[in-house]
Amino acid sequence: MRSFFQAVVSGLVTGSLYALMTVGMTLIYGTLRTLNMALGAMVLVGGYVSWMLFSGLGWGPLAGLAGAAAVTFAFGVVIQQVAVRPLIGKTGVDFEMTAFISTFAVAIVFANVALEIYGARNKAVPPVVEGRLHLIEGVSVSWHQVVMAGVAIVMLVALGIFLSKTRYGLGISAVAQQLDAARLMGIPVQRVYNLTMGVSSALAGIAGVLLASVFFVSPNAGDLPLLKALIVAIFGGLGSVRGTIVAAYIIGLLEAMISLYFGVKWSLPVLFVVIMIVLLIRPTGLFGKPEEARL
Amino acid sequence: MLETRDLHAAYGQTRVLEGIDLTVGDGEVVIVIGPNGHGKTTLLRTISGLMAPTSGEVWFAGARVDGRSPDLIATDGLVHIPQGDLPFGDMTVEENLVLGAFPASDWRGRGQRLEHVYGIFPVLGERRGQRARTLSGGERRMLALGRGLMREARMLMIDEPSLGLAPVIVNEVYRHIGTIMRSGVTMLLVEENFSHVHDLDARILLLESGRIVREGTVAELEADEAVMATYLGT
Repeated sequence: MRSFFQAVVSGLVTGSLYALMTVGMTLIYGTLRTLNMALGAMVLVGGYVSWMLFSGLGWGPLAGLAGAAAVTFAFGVVIQQVAVRPLIGKTGVDFEMTAFISTFAVAIVFANVALEIYGARNKAVPPVVEGRLHLIEGVSVSWHQVVMAGVAIVMLVALGIFLSKTRYGLGISAVAQQLDAARLMGIPVQRVYNLTMGVSSALAGIAGVLLASVFFVSPNAGDLPLLKALIVAIFGGLGSVRGTIVAAYIIGLLEAMISLYFGVKWSLPVLFVVIMIVLLIRPTGLFGKPEEARL
Repeated sequence: MLETRDLHAAYGQTRVLEGIDLTVGDGEVVIVIGPNGHGKTTLLRTISGLMAPTSGEVWFAGARVDGRSPDLIATDGLVHIPQGDLPFGDMTVEENLVLGAFPASDWRGRGQRLEHVYGIFPVLGERRGQRARTLSGGERRMLALGRGLMREARMLMIDEPSLGLAPVIVNEVYRHIGTIMRSGVTMLLVEENFSHVHDLDARILLLESGRIVREGTVAELEADEAVMATYLGT
């Protein structure tokens, strides 16, 4: 029973982090109708920014959070301008596919530039706080994990308020739901795309800082987070923010349970089987609606 | 306020507008009537920038606007209430309306505007927290009109306000449009059915196969039996 609770706790922490990474994927799919394969690279950038601030200036990971968010936001806008915008509205070009490929190319560039600058060796970043929090007898969680989940949840709540209450947040939802109507309301669509890419990238960058202290920072640090984000996004039904968050926690808990009962090496294979079954029954994912606007 | 010069537009190889010259003066109401599939919606979409013309010019409020993006034209004060209403389905009625006031100059006054719109369409006030996709056809049309009134408009374009509605609801919608007209706003309206608009004090243009084929007041056109028989099906 104790190990069950332990698995629940770690599943919730992982789920929060998956939600943080995937919600950006969802926002971009909602507005631009393509997958952004460069989101994993933003996890990577977040990790390196955090490491540089720590090793260069001695600043802790909290400074890393702010620094990484700013840097990855800027990168997101640049990626939109360089790799995505030129493909929009080209006749005879399948935008969804070409943007998918071009953002994938961006991810490869980032990984190789990181390799060139920082080398292949893993960089270690200390946790935000040391020590463990004992919940009940035999069930504990490191304070860093508490911070991870806390930051992720605060960011998700802030994102929810931004999307439903602010002028540009509503603008993002409007573009996602009815593009023509949004344009007729005077909503500057290109600026909304930039903002969506910036915000999504910043969320991934923040996830990168949080992950940097758990794993290490290396040129391929973005690969696994990208894979997980894709799994969660597709499982949740591409484009629904609420669905994405629920799916992230389901996957986080599922992974923890599989690791507990079958061992860590089974977590990805079993996960894939479960997702295949879900997609066979519901091809649009758990919360997806076929061919509808979804944010 | 609005002028188009030899405006052409096409969907791929299919030519839809074949040289439209029209003007709408300040405070004037112009109604374009024509059968479905003859370019009425395309005309409005080309004016508001949703579609690029293949040739010709669009002038709005003293500036040439063809080739500009629709959000800039909208921010200049052109309100286009599109065919099919295009509500933001997963948002509430109130969120839909608030988005109507998106341009910075309108955003500040959105609270007052909202009360104004709820005053005109009480049903929207009652449904303010409801998702737009759950509204009836008539309510959706009111929402589209209300969303258009959230902004300081120099000109209002309305695309076939009677489309898909029961006759009783059509009358109600046109009662509202009459009220909006009397507030002195410049308006360009398109409609398939002549019978809905013959009470309005407006200049009528007949559109057929992408060309304006006839122009006149309601009375003039009603007096012309050939026109009534050929174009208006009465």
